[in-house]
Amino acid sequence: MTTTPGTEYPFAPMPPAEAVEHLGRIIADRPMTKMTMPYGGDVWLVHRNAAAREILSDRRFVREPFRTGERVVPFFVPFPDFLRGTLQFEDPPQHTKLRKLVQKAISPKRVREMRDSAVAFANELIDGMIDRGGVRDLVPEYSLSLPIEMLSNLLGVPSSDREKFERWSSSTLAVAGKSDAEVAADMAELAAYMTDLIAERREEPRDDLLSALAHARDRDETLTDAEILPIAFILIVGGFDNTATFLSTGVLALLSNDEQRAQFAADPDGLAATTAEEVLRHGGFATGRPAGGGGGLVPFVATEDVVVDGQLIAKGDAVSIDLTAAGHDPTAVTEPARFDIARPDNPHLTLSHGLHHCLGAPLARMELQVGLAELVKRIPGLRLAGEPVFSRDVLTQPMTSLPVTW
Amino acid sequence: MPKVCYTQPDGTERVVEAEVGDSVMQAAVRNGVPGILGQCGGSLSCATCHVFLDERHADDFPPVGEDEDDMLDVAATDRADNSRLSCQLVLAAGQEVHVTIPETQL
Repeated sequence: MTTTPGTEYPFAPMPPAEAVEHLGRIIADRPMTKMTMPYGGDVWLVHRNAAAREILSDRRFVREPFRTGERVVPFFVPFPDFLRGTLQFEDPPQHTKLRKLVQKAISPKRVREMRDSAVAFANELIDGMIDRGGVRDLVPEYSLSLPIEMLSNLLGVPSSDREKFERWSSSTLAVAGKSDAEVAADMAELAAYMTDLIAERREEPRDDLLSALAHARDRDETLTDAEILPIAFILIVGGFDNTATFLSTGVLALLSNDEQRAQFAADPDGLAATTAEEVLRHGGFATGRPAGGGGGLVPFVATEDVVVDGQLIAKGDAVSIDLTAAGHDPTAVTEPARFDIARPDNPHLTLSHGLHHCLGAPLARMELQVGLAELVKRIPGLRLAGEPVFSRDVLTQPMTSLPVTW
Repeated sequence: MPKVCYTQPDGTERVVEAEVGDSVMQAAVRNGVPGILGQCGGSLSCATCHVFLDERHADDFPPVGEDEDDMLDVAATDRADNSRLSCQLVLAAGQEVHVTIPETQL
C-alpha cells in the first residue's frame, strides 16, 4: 500500500519517542492500514482509538471462519491450533453461555475478595528475595509466582504444579524452538491433568472455578468436559504469562523513570490503579526499548460490508486492532508519549473491549496493582542489575529474566 | 436530545447530551465521563458500568433482566435496590436521566 512519507506501516523498531510521533502521523493520515501478514494474508490494522472501539463493539465482526479452519488467522507467526478451540474464537450464542459462567468466577467482586491474599503472597515472595539477597531474578521469583498462585487458587489447581504450568504454557504457545511432537506431548499431558481434576471436582466440589464449571447449569444444560477443557486451557496458558510480563515491564518502566518512580513510592496504594493502567498502555515504551508497529489483536472477519471512520471494510476482510497505536492516539490520550502514572483517564485497549475483552482483566489489574505497590513499599532501593531477557519463541514474547538488586 | 446527569462519588455532577438509542454507558464512554468503564461494550459480561439510578426514573426503563441481575451480584461496589448496569439503560428522545457512579468498578 502507498502511504504518505513518514506514515509507513508496518514500521521497524525505533526509539519510543519517535515511534509515538510516527503513530501520531499515521493516525492523522488514516484510520487503518491494510497489511499482508507473514501468515494468513491481508488484514486491516485499525490505528484510531474510536474506530477500534467501534469495531470491537460491532457483532458483524466475527471469528467463526478462523475457528472452523475455513480461514488461516492472519498473524505474524503460525497461530497455535489449540487456541482456535478456545473462548476467544467463539461467537454468540455459544460464547455468551460460556463466557458468563467464567466471568462470574473472575468478577470484580470475587477479585476484590482475593486482594488480601494477593498482598500476603506478594509479601511472602518479597521476604524470600530479601532473605536470599544479592542479585535476584524478578521474573521467576516474583512476577511469575504471584499470578500463578492467584490463578491456581481461583481455578482450584495445586500451585505446587507451577513448573508444569510454565512448561505447558510455553509449549502450547510456542512459535519456535519446540518440535511438533514435544508440543503434542505437552498438550496431551495438560489435557489428561485437567480431565482428572474435572472428574475430581465433579465428585467433590470445592469453592473454585473448576468446581463451578463442572457443576454449572446454564438454564438446563450442564457443561461437558469438552466445553470445560478449552476454558481451563486458555486460563492456564493465558492467565499468568501476560500478567507476569506486564508486572516485570511495570517494574522496569518505573526503574527507568526516576521522577515517576518517586511519585509512586510516595503513595503506592493511592497510585496503584492509575499506575497499572499506564503500564498497560505505555509500559513497554517507558522502558526505553525501541518500539515498532506491525500487528495487533487476534483478528476478526467482516460478515458484510462495513464502513468504519470513512473506510470500507469489505465482506470477508480480516480486521485487527493495532493496540499500540490505539493507546497512543492523540485524540484519545493527552500527551501520549509521556509516562504518567497518575493519568486520570486512560482509554487504552490493551485488554481489548467488547465481547472478547480480556476475561481475566479484573484479576490481571489487581495483580499488577498489588505486585507493583508491595514491591516499592518493601524494597524502595530496588535497582537493575542487568538487562531484561525476552523469549521470541513464544507467541506472547514474554520477559523471562529481569536481574535486580537493592 | 436525551440528557444524562452523572454524579460522581464525591458529589460533582456532569450533564451530557446523548443520542437517541445510546445507553447511559455509551453516553458516558463517548464523552469521557470517568467511573464508567463499560469494558465489554454492553454484552453483560463485565459489570464495570454499574450505576445507581435515581429513584424518580425507576419506572422509565425495563426492569432488571436475569443476566443483568447476575452481573450486578458480582459488581465491585455492593449493589443497592436502585443498582443498574448502565449499558441496559437505553435513552429515548427527550429523556433526562440522573445516575450516581459508585466508588469503584474494579
